[in-house]
Amino acid sequence: MRVEVKFSSKRFLLTLMLCACSVILLQNHDLSRDASFTFRLLCLAAALLFCFGCYLPSVFLRKRGEDILSVLQSRPKWERWLITAFYCGYFRYTAVYFLLPYTDMFTKKYYTEASPCLIALLLLCCCVYAAFKGANVITRFGIFLFVLAMVTNVMLFGGSLSSLQMDADSLVPRGTLGDFLRDAGYFLTPCFTAVLFACLSGYTRNFRLRQPLIALGFTGLKYALVLFFITFAVGEYALRQDYQTFVLSRAAHFGSFSGFESLYMALATMSVFMIIALLLCAMAKAVNRNGSLPVIVLFAASVFAVHFAAANFDSAKEIFNSPSLLNLLSVIAAVVIPLFYLIIGRKRYA
Amino acid sequence: MNYSVKEITERLQAQFAGSADLSVRQFTLKSKAKRSAALYTIEGMVDKEGLAQSSLNPLLVYDFGSQTAAQTYQTILHTVLASSDVTEITEEQLIAFITSGFAVLALDGAEKLLAIGVQGYAFRGVSEPESEVVQRGAREGFTEPLRVNMSLIRRRIKSPDLVFEQLTVGKTSQTQVMLCYLKSAASPYLLKKLRQRIGACNLETVLASGYLAEYLEDPHTSRLFSGVGISERPDTVCGKLTEGRIAVIVDGTPAVIIVPRLFVEEFQGVDDYSNRTYYAALIRVIKSLSFGVSVYLPAVYTALAQFHPEYFPSWILIKTARSLSQTPLPVTLEVLLITFVYEIMKEAGLRIPKSLGHAVSIVGALVIGESAVTAGIISSSTLMVVATAAICSYVTSPLYPPVTMLRFVFITVAGLLGLWGIVLASAVVLISLCSKTSLGVPYLSSLSPFSWRTMRDVFVRANWKTLSRHTIKVQNFTETEER
Repeated sequence: MRVEVKFSSKRFLLTLMLCACSVILLQNHDLSRDASFTFRLLCLAAALLFCFGCYLPSVFLRKRGEDILSVLQSRPKWERWLITAFYCGYFRYTAVYFLLPYTDMFTKKYYTEASPCLIALLLLCCCVYAAFKGANVITRFGIFLFVLAMVTNVMLFGGSLSSLQMDADSLVPRGTLGDFLRDAGYFLTPCFTAVLFACLSGYTRNFRLRQPLIALGFTGLKYALVLFFITFAVGEYALRQDYQTFVLSRAAHFGSFSGFESLYMALATMSVFMIIALLLCAMAKAVNRNGSLPVIVLFAASVFAVHFAAANFDSAKEIFNSPSLLNLLSVIAAVVIPLFYLIIGRKRYA
Repeated sequence: MNYSVKEITERLQAQFAGSADLSVRQFTLKSKAKRSAALYTIEGMVDKEGLAQSSLNPLLVYDFGSQTAAQTYQTILHTVLASSDVTEITEEQLIAFITSGFAVLALDGAEKLLAIGVQGYAFRGVSEPESEVVQRGAREGFTEPLRVNMSLIRRRIKSPDLVFEQLTVGKTSQTQVMLCYLKSAASPYLLKKLRQRIGACNLETVLASGYLAEYLEDPHTSRLFSGVGISERPDTVCGKLTEGRIAVIVDGTPAVIIVPRLFVEEFQGVDDYSNRTYYAALIRVIKSLSFGVSVYLPAVYTALAQFHPEYFPSWILIKTARSLSQTPLPVTLEVLLITFVYEIMKEAGLRIPKSLGHAVSIVGALVIGESAVTAGIISSSTLMVVATAAICSYVTSPLYPPVTMLRFVFITVAGLLGLWGIVLASAVVLISLCSKTSLGVPYLSSLSPFSWRTMRDVFVRANWKTLSRHTIKVQNFTETEER
């Protein structure tokens, strides 16, 4: 078992921000059709505010110098097993939640001859290696991913500027309660980063409350920019297509210089790679086997098995394509359980 | 214990098993007791003339009268010997000293032996190192003898803060190794770690610094890139010492080890600090780009040609497609083959005598290159891509071994999985690099973990006024509390 060195909390939050940003990269008809751009921005603001709320219980735990998994160590065995099983299940679900649309997009949009399961398998093998190296190393990798994300975003947005056609109608807030629930539900997906924070923040040092706020702020900015360019640069065409951000990358160009979908695909691949590696790390930490290769391999194999089932059975796929279910589980994992232990801990200290 | 010359001589000759280079000069001192003495040396390691003038002649001429053995010993030590370097030693140290070029004097009835510094072996003079040529820096490079190398550093740092700490490695070779550091700059924790690693080296012989380098690497980290720096330039070593690094000088080799080593150092050069800042920045950007091109260009070409030809601009696409269609091999095999042939030619070029080098160049460039393209065995575009990557790899020559390995891996992955494979392989390599440490310091320090303060000397070199404001110590990059 490896002893993880305490690393900078800023770097960890940067990594979580990149994970949160990757949600919009895999966006596929998740948003309501009729809501206007401004209305979506409102949904986004509301959802990210809620996301910040999800961080708070873990933040208070962190202030005590603990994370949820370290709190569990002092609990009775049955309770520890129960909560650990929930977290492991949650991490597995989240891993498949991201792996599924990624492999789907890859085989539908990028390279149609590839097998989704083979893509998933190869990606998981690399994730095992990264998870084995630990959360600190993954966050260091995050810095390079951040640079790649910056370059890709500049290319995507800069390359779409020439295609911008502002539609005044889209700037008027327009949408129903149903649209709000759907859009806000989708924008709530970054809540899973609050769960990762709850489980892995024990490794970090120099934490400040403003860090998650800034991370979510930048996530919101990225979402807003992507939505803006999808709405005003590719417009109706994008809405008819699968994976709209991919379409944006394909449409972006500087004169005759185009083909940014490879850059976009590199960013999406590395983002999903980082998310799954972090999830595997968290799983290993949950069972108190940090850096144990057999445990990580076992978890990766289970993720692959679930992905295989989900990729081949539509009913299973439905379960793993539901942002609502992910959000519900995220709220339980990031808010309910930490809050419970926060209250218990407070009583104990009192 | 009082020594007997006869017994020492017998033991020494037995240990050397009649080796021809052991020289024993026995003589009798001018005294009433007719005391015996002997000088032990190794043939070719001492300056015979110096030995005769400073030791042998005075010993034979001096009249010791009725002095006891102890008195005779003290007289020799303080009055007779004219050498400036005389050390009292025991019999256990005898072999180590004579094999290092000392002459050792044994006296009947004395309690100690005397080692006289009269080293006089032949060695290469100080000259400019061929592997680290600079435009405006010093023209001096390290040479083989340890003491000469120490003096080259001492001449540049005239401060008592500079410490040379002697260790010995190699059970048989008994090679002298010198740890060199600045007391005020080097971390005691890193020094302790380094001493432990050198102490753990259980090799029989240590003939070059490369033998020791592997022992200085951190365990359980990737060995693809080296966590140990090597330099043959005293000015480079002195610069590194001021940043808290530690140099390891191995006797008998001009390559001095410097630890910890960071990735960004591979793109820095001595000339950067003599040139204008903007030009130094340009050179560093060129070096970084060349590194990228040398690793990725053949792989990206393979992936594009095989999986994504639509990404080629139309004018290149037509020419490349025409060129590739005339060759019998698939593009991946073709790129791999040319890269492999290039590596063979490079090795041959390094090993053959200089007089034949020209002939090999002609054979390589004209016969293999030109004829293979004309015969339609390989395509001109592939040849150009591999040649460009090969030239770029020499811009950052210390990185040549990992770059070559990565190039082969990336070409293979690109041939199997296309651009996606390159992305995935890059992620794995990056993770491996991010996890690498050199003496506990993250190898990618400055970049990841990121530090604004140190960026002033990474891609861009700030001016000397800015650089002199704070000296950044390498141990500050470590994430553990132990610095």
